[in-house]
Amino acid sequence: MKRIEVKLSLPVVAPLLDVIRELGDGLRERLAAPLTLTDLDEEFRDAWVAELLVAQSGDVELLLALFDGEFFTEGVVAFDEENAEMIVRACAAVRLRVREHFLLPLGDEALETGEVDMMKFAEPVRKAFMCYLFLATVQELIIQHLDSSILES
Amino acid sequence: MSEIYSSSLPKHSVQNELQLDGVWRVVVLNDPVNLMSYVVLVFKKVIGFDEPTARKHMLEVHEGGRSVVWVGLRERAEAYVFALQQWHLTAVLESDEAH
Repeated sequence: MKRIEVKLSLPVVAPLLDVIRELGDGLRERLAAPLTLTDLDEEFRDAWVAELLVAQSGDVELLLALFDGEFFTEGVVAFDEENAEMIVRACAAVRLRVREHFLLPLGDEALETGEVDMMKFAEPVRKAFMCYLFLATVQELIIQHLDSSILES
Repeated sequence: MSEIYSSSLPKHSVQNELQLDGVWRVVVLNDPVNLMSYVVLVFKKVIGFDEPTARKHMLEVHEGGRSVVWVGLRERAEAYVFALQQWHLTAVLESDEAH
């Protein structure tokens, strides 16, 4: 099985986990991306949302489970063919929520280009932006190394 | 649906059927969050595009704000929107009135 182990800096990453946990809790009850099909039958729509929320919650739980006791002793997280798809999706969900909760003042253009002067912003926004970048890096790593595993799963 | 069967249905149900028939477009909208590489991956995984096609549609979304990624019957179009939603892309269904 293809597996990537990544050694992370504990002092840098550990504080970001609070942001992920806080926003991850909200993702149990609310979809990260807005539901766009407004003309669905109400019962079908509820079932649809419920199914999406179950999947979304499972993804986020798996992401949080990466940062377990071993992470806090070794500073290592591992991605493989079994968790890659869910982790990459969970990162997308949390990043959408980070933007919604913390990064709207930065503006969409700055977010897309990454040209953000973090010193202009208060500590919570800086921390959230670091979290946003960290999760993007995780996604890039997985896509770069486990893209084929996700496509074949 | 046969003529005999449809004639026994209430009128509004028949109209609803007609609205849901026809051709629908699955349109993915731009968002400032999801990475280009992620969107390409999702297009390959969900829609079944090859790499160049996925990149072309990703660039349409990125530069034009939207891209039609699939056209066909409503039921399957809904399934694609559901799958895209599971991957946290914003997708809408549009009726193709030209058909």
